[in-house]
Amino acid sequence: MTHDHDHHHPRPASAVELRARALEALLAERGLVSTDAIDAVVELYEQDVGPQNGAKVVARAWADERYRERLLTAANEAIAELGFAGAEGDNMVVVANAPAVHNVIVCTLCSCYPWPVLGLPPSWYKSSPYRARVVAEPRAVLREFGLELSDEVEVRVWDSSAEVRYLVLPLRPPETEDWSEEELAAIVTRDCMIGTAVPIAREAAIA
Amino acid sequence: MSADKTELATLDGALGAETPLPRDNGELVFEEPWQGRALGMGVVALQRTGASWTEFRRHLVAAIAARRQREGESEATAYYAAWLDALEALLAERAPLEEAE
Repeated sequence: MTHDHDHHHPRPASAVELRARALEALLAERGLVSTDAIDAVVELYEQDVGPQNGAKVVARAWADERYRERLLTAANEAIAELGFAGAEGDNMVVVANAPAVHNVIVCTLCSCYPWPVLGLPPSWYKSSPYRARVVAEPRAVLREFGLELSDEVEVRVWDSSAEVRYLVLPLRPPETEDWSEEELAAIVTRDCMIGTAVPIAREAAIA
Repeated sequence: MSADKTELATLDGALGAETPLPRDNGELVFEEPWQGRALGMGVVALQRTGASWTEFRRHLVAAIAARRQREGESEATAYYAAWLDALEALLAERAPLEEAE
């Protein structure tokens, strides 16, 4: 039990908070929803899910060439090595950017997303304009995100589905050679792993 | 756990642009623990009753419209208060709490 009863609470609970607790107690009493089941869901949201998981995966891949190889050949297992489990049946595929290749992910059908490593998708990811346009005119869409790619760079668009979820492995900025994995992870944003941005070394140096 | 995770993955898409979960820079916002628990209750209750997120969203849209944000109340508080209203409304249809098992 992680939550206090009313009389142990250090401050007066708001009316809505009391309502939430009353409803939870009622659901538990009826055997409809157990406190443990709710705990599990809350924990998942608060701790397990978020783009920082993906950032750690990317940082490890940058720092460790053999991990990178495992990540690109068997992503589920490599991601699980760091303790981030995917939902059952989710097949993760990591696509690596290269000097002449830029990858970007989309789900044209709905909003499939590698959420165990990236958390919940941003609202634009689910918007019809992004889903339709990133396939038809990826360069124009990326430009709107502030990402200008030279004509020599090939843009590959990966369409996610319930069976396959993609994650972009961005290029490591050359000026980060001496950085620790922790420092590296700090510059890997959600958008870098969707492919609508690239990591910038300067940001972390300031932070 | 995998059932929960699958449910969570589809949650955001199901709620759509009309009733998105409160978030800051892509991360969910829980200002107080009860808000997270309200979300958790919704996820588990829908699994148990077999109700869909579309069905829940219908109640949520109505609850948000009926309730409105009160003075001095944060966006997340207003949202999850409406969430509780919606959950109660859905349960009243699906699994009336007054009814003994």
